Amino acid sequence: MSLGRSLIRVGAEERVRGRTVFGYDLERPGDLHLAAVRADQAPARILAIDPGPALALPGVLRVFTAADIPGENRLGIIASTRDHEFLAQELVRQQGQAVALVAARTLAQAQAGARAVAVAVRYQPLPGVFDPAQALREGAPLVHPERPGGNLLHERRIRRGDAEAALRDSAVVVEATYTTSPLEHCALELEGGRAEYVDGRVVVAACTQNPHYDRQDLARFLGVEPERVRVIQAETGGGFGGKLDLSLQPFLALAAWHLKRPVCMRYTREESFRATSKRHPLVMHFITGADEQGCLTGLQARILCDTGAFASYGLAVNMRAAVHASGPYLVPHLDVVSRAAYTNNPFTGAMRGFGVPQIALAHEGQMDALALALGRDPLELRLRNALRNGQATGTGQVLHSGVGLARCLERLRPIYRRWQARAASGEDFREGVGLAAMFYGIGNTGVSNPSTAQLEWGTDGRVTLFTGAAEIGQGSDTVLRQLAATRLGIPVEEIDLCRGDTDRTTNAGATSASRQTYISGNAVLAAADNLEMQLVQAARQMLGQHHLELELRGGRLAAPDGRSLAPAQVARYLTGQGRRARGAGRFDPNFSGLDPDTGQGRPYAAYAFAAQCAWVRVDTDSGLVRVKEVAAAHDVGRAINPRGVMGQICGGVAMGLGMALMEQFRFGQTDNLHRYHIPTFLDAPRITPLIVEEAEETGPYGAKGVGEPALIPTAPAVAAAVGRAVGRPLRHLPISLERVMAALTHEEAEHAN
Amino acid sequence: MDLCLTVNGQPISLPEVPGEASLLEVLRGRLGLLGTKEGCGVGECGACTVLLDGRAVNSCLTAAWQAAGRQVTTIEGLAQGGQLHPLQRAFVEAGAVQCGFCTPGMILAAWDLLQRNHHPSDQEIKQALTGNLCRCTGYHDILRAVRRAARWLREGAP
Repeated sequence: MSLGRSLIRVGAEERVRGRTVFGYDLERPGDLHLAAVRADQAPARILAIDPGPALALPGVLRVFTAADIPGENRLGIIASTRDHEFLAQELVRQQGQAVALVAARTLAQAQAGARAVAVAVRYQPLPGVFDPAQALREGAPLVHPERPGGNLLHERRIRRGDAEAALRDSAVVVEATYTTSPLEHCALELEGGRAEYVDGRVVVAACTQNPHYDRQDLARFLGVEPERVRVIQAETGGGFGGKLDLSLQPFLALAAWHLKRPVCMRYTREESFRATSKRHPLVMHFITGADEQGCLTGLQARILCDTGAFASYGLAVNMRAAVHASGPYLVPHLDVVSRAAYTNNPFTGAMRGFGVPQIALAHEGQMDALALALGRDPLELRLRNALRNGQATGTGQVLHSGVGLARCLERLRPIYRRWQARAASGEDFREGVGLAAMFYGIGNTGVSNPSTAQLEWGTDGRVTLFTGAAEIGQGSDTVLRQLAATRLGIPVEEIDLCRGDTDRTTNAGATSASRQTYISGNAVLAAADNLEMQLVQAARQMLGQHHLELELRGGRLAAPDGRSLAPAQVARYLTGQGRRARGAGRFDPNFSGLDPDTGQGRPYAAYAFAAQCAWVRVDTDSGLVRVKEVAAAHDVGRAINPRGVMGQICGGVAMGLGMALMEQFRFGQTDNLHRYHIPTFLDAPRITPLIVEEAEETGPYGAKGVGEPALIPTAPAVAAAVGRAVGRPLRHLPISLERVMAALTHEEAEHAN
Repeated sequence: MDLCLTVNGQPISLPEVPGEASLLEVLRGRLGLLGTKEGCGVGECGACTVLLDGRAVNSCLTAAWQAAGRQVTTIEGLAQGGQLHPLQRAFVEAGAVQCGFCTPGMILAAWDLLQRNHHPSDQEIKQALTGNLCRCTGYHDILRAVRRAARWLREGAP
């Protein structure tokens, strides 16, 4: 039985030996090299691009511009908002947008060519808009002038009951504004890949979180049928949402298509910072009410997301921010409006949690404010309002199973109380303990997002799992094999994996939205069911007993009388008939779209729940915050691989700590890791991961997901702890030294971003 | 310039190495040792860590000529006779490997520490590895792995 066991991760041994070939490592001798030319000003109109000086340099073979794109130069995963011009056509909408691409024999020659082109681009500066609130005002410069909706990318309302009346009649009402900053994913592997032109097709191998989407958009970009593009997911060294959009794949495909020669490309860290999406900064104005018993009465929330120059995943972030604004609580009356606006800032998109880590700062800050106003304990107040099985979310969705928040809070309670008792203060330091909770819908919001998989029993007795699910370090290769092994009743070692090659696998959707365990896991189980059915039918034919009862048990086809048959034998029989023992499965979560006006509906089939508490020490001379300990209780439904779950939790906590205390992207200022700080070994607190298993009845063996939930409560818990230590709430991230000192010195200078 | 050095026990002579080439460029570009990673190019992330005469260095900041006549060990040279080094085994078993991109540098930095300090405290492990960034693990399981490897190196692996 492999379910619930901390099996060693697939590929770990190759990784410690340094043998794993990542997208970044794919260069081969003789490959041409590519370098992008990126705009150093925006917005601007391109008046002319002169490739002459670059083409005169040694080794430079070609300079591509938008005019060389054979297909559609508007890419993006969300079909209704595709707008990313991969090479700027006429307008440059953000700094760092690519305007040309140079192909040369060596990397140095390509880079020299790119510099020569860069100085030979003539721009006409245009007025821009860099603040999302200003972007929505009448007369603001338009980021996409051709677009009918102006700078408003998307608006989502969630309305339930009468929030205004509920707030009016509440015993206490708290009101505050919260803000967050743009963040960079900083996966350790930089973007890298390689493309070839083979028999009239372009083959692109690169790091990615979504190979089958990549293929579709690359085919549109080249103006060819998808069959003429093959995408192979290279081993991918982390993603966190940063490798969901296409990065350098369109450049690789374009150059291989035109030059008919192998090409490779890598981003430097600086280019990765400049060229890829960021986490949306949000401005969140919340008014929350409660009655005298501490029960939530109503919420009015106004949310504004800066989506930057391109839509990317902006619509998804905006939807999620609105849907999750209630927090994991029973809120009878809601009035939420969330808007995402274009600006000429670097485009923002998917990053671990899609808006929920941001919105959690607000709903948790409000819970603490209510606790203070009511004189109640923050944990007990949350417990009182925590959603329970059978209750409805803010979108009116009744959750029948899998609501494990109360259990998470109860697991934390003894730790939280112990830390509260031990938190000390001294001459030059103060300590505080904070708590935060969250819920997170698994999969995409209110849309179909199926996964597919196949399982094939070979004539040699081994089973192959075919999946399009991108492994990026989170562990899906391991978990999907564990699920297949459990269902087929064989050891996990007998399952081989074929993953992420669009010629050999089918679409599993993105590795995002914490969806692969739940959705692809269910698709793998469906494939196993289908394989069993095919094996049983074939075995009946083979034995000439058409009504024989057979089922897959312990890796064999077993009859009620105790006789059994090896599936490999049936596979050989099928092979003799020119067939294969191959089962296919598909799973799409049971959802319904949100009502366009009220936002009511069933956006997700399953939700993960979590609560974390943090213990911090604040140096009162410098404002330095050190997080001493974090305890993280996560309801994952069922831990298929407990070590993997704990690894996700600990990694999420560290990333959340970076969001809380240190990370803030500023274009041109924080474009490498010496300026943009992510948590180091010394910053990492002691972490106690706690697994709670409140089974989700539709999950594979009850499982949900944990990738993003791991991060979401951390920043609000740290903010609450710092707030407790310094005696006033911290509502703006990151909680920099300046902000802590301002709070400590009671200045009314708690500046928003 | 011609560069003579020893890499993973093998004496190597490389013609025409540009004076400005980094050790990282030579290892990856000339010798095809792709286990040494590049994550920032400015000595901040530690993914390019190798051992130079047994001490961990950022190979992106080390000029190739600085390695002339010296011993370089990369991740490919750590396992002896196909057998994983105790650090490698501990990383695998403790769940210290997620995406694995920081892993080679992290292991070599830990090797340097355990060579000098057979009984490191948690704080000493954290200090020694603070120049090696990991975005996946939160360092939690890496700490467990290094502790475990230190014990195995002292007492023998089970």
